[in-house]
Amino acid sequence: MKDFDFNADKVLAKDFLSNFADANGEAKYINILQDVANHKSRAVQIDLEDLLNYKDLDEEFFRRVTENTRRYIGIFASAIDDVMPEPTEPFPDDDHDILMTQRTEDATENTDDSDPQQKMPAEIKRYYEVYIRAPSKGRPFTIREVKASYIGQLVRISGIVTRCSDVKPLMQVAVYTCEDCGFEIYQEVTARVFMPLFECPSKRCKTNKANGNLILQLRASKFLKFQEAKIQELAEHVPKGHIPRSMTVHFRGELTRKVAPGDVVELSGIFLPIPYTGFRALRAGLVADTYLEAMSVTHFKKKYEEYELRGDEEEQIARLAEDGDIYNKLARSLAPEIYGHEDIKKALLLLLVGAPHRKLKDGMKIRGDLHLCLMGDPGVAKSQLLKHIINVAPRAVYTTGRGSSGVGLTAAVQKDPVTNEMVLEGGALVLADMGICAIDEFDKMDESDRTAIHEVMEQQTVSIAKAGITTSLNARTAVLAAANPAWGRYDLRRTPAENINLPPALLSRFDLLWLILDRADMDSDLEMARHVVYVHQNKESPALGFTPLEPSILRAYISAARRLSPYVPKELEEYIATAYSSIRQEEAKSNAPHSYTTVRTLLSILRISAALARLRFSETVAQSDVDEALRLMQMSKFSLYSDDRQRSGLDAISDIYSILRDEAARTNTLDVSYAHALNWISRKGYSEAQLKECLEEYAALNVWQIHPHTFDIRFIDA
Amino acid sequence: MVGPPYDCLANPLGAVRLTFEKAIASGSHPSSFDGKDWGAIDLFRHFLFDQSQLSQVPILSPATLRWVQPNTLVRFRGMIQDMLGNEFYVGAYKDGSVWRTNKFMDFSKFPMDSSPDMRVWERRLLYCVPVPGISSWAESASEVAIDRRMNWTSQQRDKRGRMDFEAMDAEDTPVPADNFEDSPTAKRMREDGHPSPSSQSQDYKTEAACSSTNVELEIYHDSSPCLVKIYDSPESELKLNDVFEFVGVLTFDSEIPVETGDRDDFCNDYSDDLLVHLPPHKVPRLHCLIHRKLAAHDFLHKSPSVEQTPHLVKEARESLLRHLTDVLGNDGVAAHYMLLHLLSRVHSRVDHVAVGKLSLNLTCLSKESFSVFGIQLSLAIKNLLPFSTCIPLTLEYLSRSSLAPKKDYQTNRLIPGVLQLAEGSHLIIDETLLETGTLNSVGVDNARLLKNLLEFQKVEYDFTYYKMEMPADVQLLILSEGKSNILPADVILPFQPSSVGTSGVVTTEAVEAWRWYLAAFRLLPHSIESEMQKVVENDLVAARQADRSIGSQDFSRWLTMGRLISTSFGETSLSMEHWQMVMELERQRRERLLPYRN
Repeated sequence: MKDFDFNADKVLAKDFLSNFADANGEAKYINILQDVANHKSRAVQIDLEDLLNYKDLDEEFFRRVTENTRRYIGIFASAIDDVMPEPTEPFPDDDHDILMTQRTEDATENTDDSDPQQKMPAEIKRYYEVYIRAPSKGRPFTIREVKASYIGQLVRISGIVTRCSDVKPLMQVAVYTCEDCGFEIYQEVTARVFMPLFECPSKRCKTNKANGNLILQLRASKFLKFQEAKIQELAEHVPKGHIPRSMTVHFRGELTRKVAPGDVVELSGIFLPIPYTGFRALRAGLVADTYLEAMSVTHFKKKYEEYELRGDEEEQIARLAEDGDIYNKLARSLAPEIYGHEDIKKALLLLLVGAPHRKLKDGMKIRGDLHLCLMGDPGVAKSQLLKHIINVAPRAVYTTGRGSSGVGLTAAVQKDPVTNEMVLEGGALVLADMGICAIDEFDKMDESDRTAIHEVMEQQTVSIAKAGITTSLNARTAVLAAANPAWGRYDLRRTPAENINLPPALLSRFDLLWLILDRADMDSDLEMARHVVYVHQNKESPALGFTPLEPSILRAYISAARRLSPYVPKELEEYIATAYSSIRQEEAKSNAPHSYTTVRTLLSILRISAALARLRFSETVAQSDVDEALRLMQMSKFSLYSDDRQRSGLDAISDIYSILRDEAARTNTLDVSYAHALNWISRKGYSEAQLKECLEEYAALNVWQIHPHTFDIRFIDA
Repeated sequence: MVGPPYDCLANPLGAVRLTFEKAIASGSHPSSFDGKDWGAIDLFRHFLFDQSQLSQVPILSPATLRWVQPNTLVRFRGMIQDMLGNEFYVGAYKDGSVWRTNKFMDFSKFPMDSSPDMRVWERRLLYCVPVPGISSWAESASEVAIDRRMNWTSQQRDKRGRMDFEAMDAEDTPVPADNFEDSPTAKRMREDGHPSPSSQSQDYKTEAACSSTNVELEIYHDSSPCLVKIYDSPESELKLNDVFEFVGVLTFDSEIPVETGDRDDFCNDYSDDLLVHLPPHKVPRLHCLIHRKLAAHDFLHKSPSVEQTPHLVKEARESLLRHLTDVLGNDGVAAHYMLLHLLSRVHSRVDHVAVGKLSLNLTCLSKESFSVFGIQLSLAIKNLLPFSTCIPLTLEYLSRSSLAPKKDYQTNRLIPGVLQLAEGSHLIIDETLLETGTLNSVGVDNARLLKNLLEFQKVEYDFTYYKMEMPADVQLLILSEGKSNILPADVILPFQPSSVGTSGVVTTEAVEAWRWYLAAFRLLPHSIESEMQKVVENDLVAARQADRSIGSQDFSRWLTMGRLISTSFGETSLSMEHWQMVMELERQRRERLLPYRN
């Protein structure tokens, strides 16, 4: 009854193999088999996803294959034997083939095949291996979730490889020759240990009562490559307060040497028990060890470029993209437990998104990575912001300025203790290539690293000329730095430059520099007191007022955004140029410039605008992007120099008035919309409340009229 | 009423089997028992708790291992040190036409051949050790039961004859009954498996001698581990470093030799087999029937009395405060802080903040005064709390010891570190011994671990390929000369004794009252009424307006102190009076700190 079943399934398998057509309409498996027949490859991997997509899918058959996979590997193998095409290309005979031809000749001569052990097992003839790969839909299991009920089934699990054995030969078919009758005797080996045969079971020896001595023929026997490994649960899959579990994995044939300790892999395989053997079977007979017979290995990829969107993520991103407020929403979802700092979070979001790299015709490269520096008093959650960004970014390295290893931040030439050869070892910046490098305690950096970081931040390479090695390594990384002011705390009596304690050459390389100060402000103090009391009272954080997006969604959205490379349309060029020149002029006017606006600033504006366009999933940079970029840059300056301005004597209200008047004069109009006004004044570092106050005050003086609903401004021509 | 036809204590497996057969007889198919109990647990729960027979069950310890028989009911109190994953076993199988079960057993009594009627079930393996740093008084709480048990077994053995399960009984005790009292295996086990406590403490004394203190290092109190096999309970119930009491069937088989012969080198280099690394003759196995989480008061001699009259609470608080003042050389402020410190625990975690911790740093202690006060103090704490340890923080210690647990992939075990402590442990870090010098990378790592423990109450366990943060709940007391910069504690208090500390004469009764007071009151709930909340908020804002250096950490500390002060009075909500006490204490502390500020 059961045999019949399997025969029917063999027919199904044959049908599937010969008739399955992939998306391009090609007979995928027949092509694979042709390669196998031509000795070009040895592995036949049957993707169960294909079986699911197969037009004549038999659901029951699919279920049987996943639940009794090991048996079905045999069925597929024998089906492949039947449908195997003839080789189309000539190939040199190896000794295996010579043996095979001889055997086939022998077999026709001797009709003594009633004895199963003399019949050649199918395995010895095969020069391919069959793997059945689990469908890659859905989430793989963690090791913890593989329970007793999965024994014998095909499962897909993820984990980290912790140990690997050497690759060793494993006997699959033992071949003996009999001293007396000269017959070849075959013995299939299915376990790791086997009992060798000693007496010839052939008919001739039996009838002659010769008890022929059997000699194991290693050359004629069939061996498989075999490797054993241990995988362990990933840290994020372990429930709180538990120890990661581990599992033994067996790799055979072509799957050996695919993993090394430390690799994060996704495996599909058959979960099988190993019965105890020998003495232990008697004593501990009722406990079984288990292992996973690997069927396929996939290494995890962690780069944005290789990030594959899963199932519903695409849909979610599309929905988010339609939402107009995506910029704010994403920014707020970064480090949601850190209160406030909206603009800093926006800057961090742009750092994650970045701008496209540009390569000019003459080979010059212009970096697209944004660099950001957070400076501030101790205890204003700088490090927490850094750590959070590290968790969101798929490839990121967190380090401190002092560095932890001798390699430091950039790279070092070191002597290999075994071979005495000089080897290059990359530091944190090199390791974070194509990712983000978060450097805490930036101000405490070694002098040697500080010089090297200049190159990293603009040319994005690390050059080394030491110990006879001259080379340059790629370090295409976005630098996110956090630093303390020169005297530990920000000293308001000193100038910002004195407080910052970093050379201007380095500072100018940062696109945005942010100062986070701990200000004496009643409201924020009360906010803080409330928060602490709430936490003590309710044992949880106060509700955020919004649901932050999951880091995985954030990552998916950013990776989708990074695929675009927006360009600046012609009509915006003029706008950006004017904005840039006005910043330059302003600086020239003031007698103590705070910053050095250089071409780098212009590039920063372009980069930030491009990142903003990417967030909107737009191929072109819009004026709103440029405006927002200018606002962010101004806000970051404002965070540095606000106190300065207040000392300058001009009160806020009249300053706002002069800003508005100048802007109106520049654009040669009498009407200024409220939105524009707000944009201009916030660039100069004023708040909306101050604008409103100014509007009212000057409206009372009949300088301008304010629209009662939209608050648009109309200057009264005098 | 006639007793049950089986003896839950001496033949628990008989009881298991009986209930299994009963369940089968009532028509259930064994496949419905996957991961479920068929009534055996209820039976034992009834027996142990409803009939309060729990105290009759012997507690597993090196001493009791000598006479406890395999396949009897025992209990083990310990901390879950490692989780060894799960194990598959044939749970139910058909022997002819009869269903049999192997649950709560190590190996089958009947020959089995693989048949389709085999149900494979799983159980989880937990490696448990006695709680690190357990005080001798907490340990001896179990000794009481032993004497009783001794008498009881001798009676019980006479009674055995009338058991209805003679046939079963014979199978259940494969080790002949006469070889347990003084069998050579038991002796051997005592010799090589469990070094006697005296020699062990000597070892540690010599180790600690270099630190000029004789505070015992009981950290490696790893002498009598136990491998507990857990059935059917949800995973979330048992967590690493939890202290549990397991009641179950002891199997402890000295007969399985460690195989060497038939393990070919194919697997030799690659085995992480339990039998090799945890030989059963050294590590007893306990098939757990019932487990319950233990709190500090479970280690008290007498069960906590119900009398919680305010008067008694006040008395206990005052006498304890007096005792602490005495120990601390008449420093009342320090005694107050010490009391709060001893009552603290992490009661919740919000984001990265462990709410409720109150680590204390007593400064102005030199090497000399440590020998006077430090030892007094550590003895007093040991006497009050069930689990306490002391780390002498020397350069050598930092550079050499392994503070964090580390996974050894060779043996597939978690190597315990000093900082793998049970919930509610007390840890004294003696920084007075630290001298200037250089730390190696291990030392830097260790210093970072200690800092993380202080700041976040978390310990990073090293799994080579990644680190995992495990939450901890440890009361940390740091004794140092100046303010400890390596170990930033919540409260820094210059210690100002006015006399040499004397612990005075302390009656056992008083000590027991204090232990009960500390154990029970730590767990009190706490709330702040909305009116009080306003007052608190305003006070906090006013304080910050006055002094910009006050941050959220100080706010948090004050609220914790407020909670602890009301707790120490046995109250569950913050009152104005107690809040002012906090402010007053903090004022006194700030005054003391002034001369040290520069």
